[in-house]
Amino acid sequence: MSSNTIAVIGGGPGGLRAAQGIADVGRKVVLVERLSHLGGSPITQKYCGLTPHGDPAQPQIQRLIDAVTANPLTKVRLGTELASVAGEPGAFALTLRDAQTGADDTVECGAIIIATGFSHFDPGRSTQMYGYFEFPDVITQPDLETMLSEHRVLRPSNGQPPERICFIQCVGSRDRQIGNEYCSKVCCGVASKEAIEIRQLLPDSKVLIFYIDMRMYGYWENEIYWPAQEQHHVQYVKGLITEVLPKGDRLLVRGEDTTMGRPMEVLLDLVVLSVGMEPSPGTRELAGLLGVRQNKYGFIEAVGAPLDPVSTDREGIFACGAALGPADLEDTVSSAAGAAMKAVGFLRSLAVATAN
Amino acid sequence: MTIPTEALRRAKAAEEPAADRRSLDDPRAELLELERQGELIVQKIDREAVTVSTKYGREKRIQKSHLWHHKSCGQCGHIPGYSTSIFWVMRKLGYDYHDPRDQTSCTAWNYYASATSNSAAQAAVAVRNFAAAYESGYFPLIHCGTSYGHYKDVREELIRHSELRAQVRAIMAKLGKPLVLPEEIIHYSEWFHALRDEIASKQARDVSGIVVSVHPACHYYKIVPGDAIYDPDIYGGQRTAVVTGLAEALGATVRDYSTWFDCCGFGFRHILVQRDFTRSFATLRKIEVMKDEANPDVVLTHDTGCVTTLDKSQFAAKAHGRNVGLPVLSDAQFAALALGAHPYRVCQLHWHSADYRPLLEKMGVDWEKAWAEFQGDLRRLESGEKRYLDWDDADGVNDSNRPEESPDRHEHDS
Amino acid sequence: MTTTTASRPETDAHYKVWDVAGYADVPHEAKVRLFEQVKGDLRFGDYLYGCYECGICVAACPSAKFYDFSPRRIAQAAAREDVDLIYQQMQEDIWECSQCFSCLRCPRGNNPGGIVTIMREVAVKNGLASAREALVGYSRIIYKIMSTGTQVSPDMLGRDSFPDWGPETADVADNLDLWRRALPPETMHTTSTGWSVAESTLVELYLIWMETGALDMIAAVDPGLHTILQELMEERLEEEGIEL
Repeated sequence: MSSNTIAVIGGGPGGLRAAQGIADVGRKVVLVERLSHLGGSPITQKYCGLTPHGDPAQPQIQRLIDAVTANPLTKVRLGTELASVAGEPGAFALTLRDAQTGADDTVECGAIIIATGFSHFDPGRSTQMYGYFEFPDVITQPDLETMLSEHRVLRPSNGQPPERICFIQCVGSRDRQIGNEYCSKVCCGVASKEAIEIRQLLPDSKVLIFYIDMRMYGYWENEIYWPAQEQHHVQYVKGLITEVLPKGDRLLVRGEDTTMGRPMEVLLDLVVLSVGMEPSPGTRELAGLLGVRQNKYGFIEAVGAPLDPVSTDREGIFACGAALGPADLEDTVSSAAGAAMKAVGFLRSLAVATAN
Repeated sequence: MTIPTEALRRAKAAEEPAADRRSLDDPRAELLELERQGELIVQKIDREAVTVSTKYGREKRIQKSHLWHHKSCGQCGHIPGYSTSIFWVMRKLGYDYHDPRDQTSCTAWNYYASATSNSAAQAAVAVRNFAAAYESGYFPLIHCGTSYGHYKDVREELIRHSELRAQVRAIMAKLGKPLVLPEEIIHYSEWFHALRDEIASKQARDVSGIVVSVHPACHYYKIVPGDAIYDPDIYGGQRTAVVTGLAEALGATVRDYSTWFDCCGFGFRHILVQRDFTRSFATLRKIEVMKDEANPDVVLTHDTGCVTTLDKSQFAAKAHGRNVGLPVLSDAQFAALALGAHPYRVCQLHWHSADYRPLLEKMGVDWEKAWAEFQGDLRRLESGEKRYLDWDDADGVNDSNRPEESPDRHEHDS
Repeated sequence: MTTTTASRPETDAHYKVWDVAGYADVPHEAKVRLFEQVKGDLRFGDYLYGCYECGICVAACPSAKFYDFSPRRIAQAAAREDVDLIYQQMQEDIWECSQCFSCLRCPRGNNPGGIVTIMREVAVKNGLASAREALVGYSRIIYKIMSTGTQVSPDMLGRDSFPDWGPETADVADNLDLWRRALPPETMHTTSTGWSVAESTLVELYLIWMETGALDMIAAVDPGLHTILQELMEERLEEEGIEL
């Protein structure tokens, strides 16, 4: 039976913005989220400040959440997963399952938006020898965000503030051996933002960023990169790190200073791995359940890219945000609004066709 | 005060192992597929085998007995205690093997030194050795780290390039041999790792007071990394488990140092004709760092070139007042000693350069007595009473029939 | 020999060593030809993709810490097909590589050490002066490996061969025959080879060297050695009635 409701699977920034968009133009929306809270990675991973301005994450995401929960047209299903789908475009029947009790129920919808986001790369799989599972003082960007949101950056090994910190870019990205050949887009901006935050928290610290290329698109150049170097004296060294080893009670990182054309070894207290994005388990599952094509990296394929970045290869099913590939928050909310528009437009076109 | 350090430790512990694309790389499956297409023959593991896990999760099987020992030219040439120990430990555990005469060196030392060869010749040399093993029915076990690494490369080239297969097949046909490859390329240190608990169960000497630093061979784990053994209980699965696993199973303490991943500096050509590079590298990047940071009683490694480099580079360095002086042994010799092997008859330590006697003393081995026993053996060989030392002599089977040897005939001075 | 107005070689058959640069310049076509041989190797496509100059290879490389050697520059030069730079690298750089393959950590999947191997083969095959120089003092080893199938035999540990290895090596030399007989493994009672190699195996090995062109590779760098080995191998194969 045809339905005018749109289902959004995933309650992160993308799913929230899509749901808000659908409700804003007067349509009903069901938002399905497997965890018991909304907000996605920024909330689950306890992001401190959002890139580029470093404004506190939690209140901004909360505003997105409130816009959805306050709207009578939206129905939020927390702690719920998609178990299966039947029907056809315009008349889908979703079987939703309670993640705790396993109880099922059916929801009808006319269109679906996949908003299941990403996972961070597991640094134990890196081609380089970073020792994430060996050394307490080797952490990831999300680990650091958790520390920053507590306003304490400390060495896990001894609980002391670090004096010398580095970021290693491209961990798990741009790597043919791992298979994640793409660039994860946000890590350069996020690392620089975090570097600024560390310099503000620990004014006597020295912070280095080891990189291949600095991805500073558009205004990130002047909003993050230049201030990081000029105001906060973050040091950018073009040359990626290949090994992290213990030396005494510190860490020794090994790379080439390509600008100077010679090998370098640097002693540090804390090493932050800028881990890239991979498709989340939810994205992979949904692709299977909905029969939607994935690209070679496992993300949902945007078959109409670049001018239509949200349509999948299945009619009536759209995707947004990091489920499609590496995306920053601006990308995510933009594609979410775009997907919402596309979904609503799809249902309208069906209604027009039926009327004729 | 909420210090997220504990939370971080917990988060790390809870990290879910994700499926890795590289776990799909399966040279064994590719070989079997080529066999199905009639392109080559795959020699199968056909006896009891131990299953081990490799870097990206692919399981690899190590056949325990009935092995064809692909010897190392360098070991047999100038560190013969290394090969002898491998044979001795296998005999001690009661596993049958074949020590072939119809074996050539993999010739990779020469190839990496001088490039006076090409990919077809190298592949043909490899396949000729594998065919000899196949014909004997014994499964090949590779003694040298470079042979192992080189053969992994050869395997990849043969899998990828049908024209190379055709060329090698034609040459093998002239020799009356098939184009054959084993289903797994196994390094002896993998056998030692797979059987480390069995080895430890027969331990005769206590090494719990011995501190070890491990040097892993580049060609073991950097070439085709997916074939190397990794274990989540050793280095958190972040570094290869061989040698370290064995040392720990025997009860020794393994200590880390900050140049663990560095090459030893062998250089293939450099060690022979440009030794200042090898010597400087081995001393400055490995031995001195180990001594300074780990202060071990012994350096253990699992490759011919690495033992040679680390052992032989210290003498000249010492003459220049460098902080060196660490005995260097293969994991096989160390295991043999732990199982009670004679330091000279089996481990042939008199061929080594760096002083190993403090290590033996710490292990409770009376090396003076052992040296006197060995001198007795040599006198018997000189007099013509025996032509060669044999395995019974190595185990001192006839020692009780002889008067106590005088211990004042050792040839070394500090 | 001075270099000022001396004529440049018209053909690429003569590579003379020139004092100033340390090596002879050759016509552009000669450099192109050498590079084409490198690029034409079966393995080249497996060894070189793109390079984004991250420096991981240099960071891992032992030779980069001792020499002015850079696997990154090897990969870059090959990717750019810069035949002048590649020719220069074939003079010295490629012989500094330790062939350890630490550079296989390349995230693009390049194999700079492998590219070096191919460049060395081309240098040897073409009898470049650098190849001849790099292999000075190395003939005995080539002879040993090609003719006996083992390398660095016990009898090569002469009393004065490796003085920097310590006095123990001299002890080995002094007691060689006796100490070799004092080895339990039956195959190792040898001094001229690492282990005793079956005659039939040597015949098989000679056939491999000749059929694959490996033997002929050394004709340009060491013609004398080439002749000796060729005679030895041809004779042996003839005795066995084997046709090439």
